Amino acid sequence: MYPLITLGPLRLSSGGLLLLAAAYLWAWRVVQVARHRGGTTLAVHAKECTLPALFGAAIGGRLWAGLFSLDRYGPAPELFLAPQLTDLAWPGALLGGALVGWGCCRRRGANPWALADVAALSLPLALAVGGVGLLLSGEAFGLPTTLPWGVPLFGAVRHPTQLYGTLAALLIGALLSAAEYFASDDRPLAPGRLAARFLALHGLSLLLIEALRADSFTIADGVRATQIVGLALLLAGLHRLRARPAPTMPMPPVPID
Amino acid sequence: MLTLPALRRSTGNLLLLAVFFGGVLFIGVTRVQPLTSATSAPAPIDVAPAPEISHPAPPFTLHTPDGATVALADLRGRVVLINFWATWCPPCRAEMPAIQAAFAQYQPQGFTVLAVTAGEDAATVTAFLQAHDLHVPALLDTNGQVHATYFASTLPSSFFIDRRGVVRAIYKGPMSHSVITGTVAQLLAEQ
Repeated sequence: MYPLITLGPLRLSSGGLLLLAAAYLWAWRVVQVARHRGGTTLAVHAKECTLPALFGAAIGGRLWAGLFSLDRYGPAPELFLAPQLTDLAWPGALLGGALVGWGCCRRRGANPWALADVAALSLPLALAVGGVGLLLSGEAFGLPTTLPWGVPLFGAVRHPTQLYGTLAALLIGALLSAAEYFASDDRPLAPGRLAARFLALHGLSLLLIEALRADSFTIADGVRATQIVGLALLLAGLHRLRARPAPTMPMPPVPID
Repeated sequence: MLTLPALRRSTGNLLLLAVFFGGVLFIGVTRVQPLTSATSAPAPIDVAPAPEISHPAPPFTLHTPDGATVALADLRGRVVLINFWATWCPPCRAEMPAIQAAFAQYQPQGFTVLAVTAGEDAATVTAFLQAHDLHVPALLDTNGQVHATYFASTLPSSFFIDRRGVVRAIYKGPMSHSVITGTVAQLLAEQ
C-alpha cells in the first residue's frame, strides 16, 4: 500500500501501521488480562516482560525471514537490521518472543505458565489485526483459486490466506475466552492450560492455512517450514493438555467462631 | 490388568502419534510442487544469459510509455537500477518513493533508473506515475520477455548495474531507502 508516514529511513505503509497496531494492541491487552486474572502482581510482571518479548519477536521474525532468504541476506547482511516492517516471519517472531518472554519470567520470579496463559488470551486479537495488515501490504498471499471469495492480488485471484489467518485467530480467541468463562471456581483452569490450548489450535491453523500460501519459506523438497512449526506447536499443545495438572493446594479451613 | 489411568495414558499416546503421522502426511501432500515436470529435455531457447552478480547484465531494448526507445547498452558509463514492478503490486508501490528519492538525489552524478513493468498499457503506467509525482523512467515490457530474461518472478525485483554494465547487486522484494542509497553511492564511487 501507499506509504503514509516517513520517519527518517522508516516508511510506514497502511499494512505496516496495522502490524504496529497489532503489536501495541497485544502489549496493552497483556497487561489488562494479567490484571484481570492475577491482580497487580501479575500485571506488573506482564508489563515488565512485554517489551522484551516484543523485542525478541522482532529479532526472531527478522532472523527467520533472513535465514530463509539467504540469496538476498547473504550478500547484504545489513538487511537483518533494515528498519522496515517487511521480512518479519511469524514463526520466528512467535519463537523469539516466547523464548525472551520465558527468560524474562524466570529472571523476575514470575510464573511463566500464568503469563503464558495471559499472552495466549491476548494474542488472537492482535493476530487478527495483523492478518488484515498482511493483506494490505500484500504479504503472505495465497495460491490462485476460483473460489468466489478469492481476492485479486499480484495478477491473479488468490486465496485470502491473510483473512483465513484473521478468522482462525478470532475463532481461537473465542474458544479460549469461552474456556476461561466456563471454568468454574471450584475447578479453575490450571496454569498453562489456556496456553496449551492456544498452542494446539494455533499450530493447527498454521498447519492448514500455510498449505494455501504461495510464498512459503521451504526447506528440502518443497516442505513448508511454517507447517513444521505448526505441527510442533500442535503436538506440544496436545502433550501439555494431556499432562495431569498439578494438584492444587487444599483451601485452608475457615475458622469457626 | 489395564487400569483406567493407564488406558487414558495409552490412548493419549496413540492420539499424539496419530496427530504426528497425520500432520507429517499432510505436510508431505501439501508441499510446494515444482511448477513444471518436464518429461523430456526442453528445447534450447534463444534468450540472453540470466543475470548473475559479477556478470554482464543481459541487454534489452524497450519503449517508454510515450514511445521513446531505451537500450540498456546505451547507458554504459552510468549506474543503473533496473526495477521490475507493477502498478497493482502493493510492495512495489510502497518502494517507489524511495527509488524516486534516490533517483533525484544521484541522477546528476550518473545514476539512472529503469522501472520495467509487464502487461500494463502506457496510459495506466503514465497515470500512476503522474498521480504519485514519480519521475523515474518507466519502460513497458509488453510481452514480458525482459522479465523472463531477468527471472523477475518476484515483484518487486531490483538489479543494480555498475558503470561497466556488470550486475553488482540483486534484491528480491522491497528495498529500504538506506539499502538503495547505500548501494548506489558505493557504485557511483567506483571508477
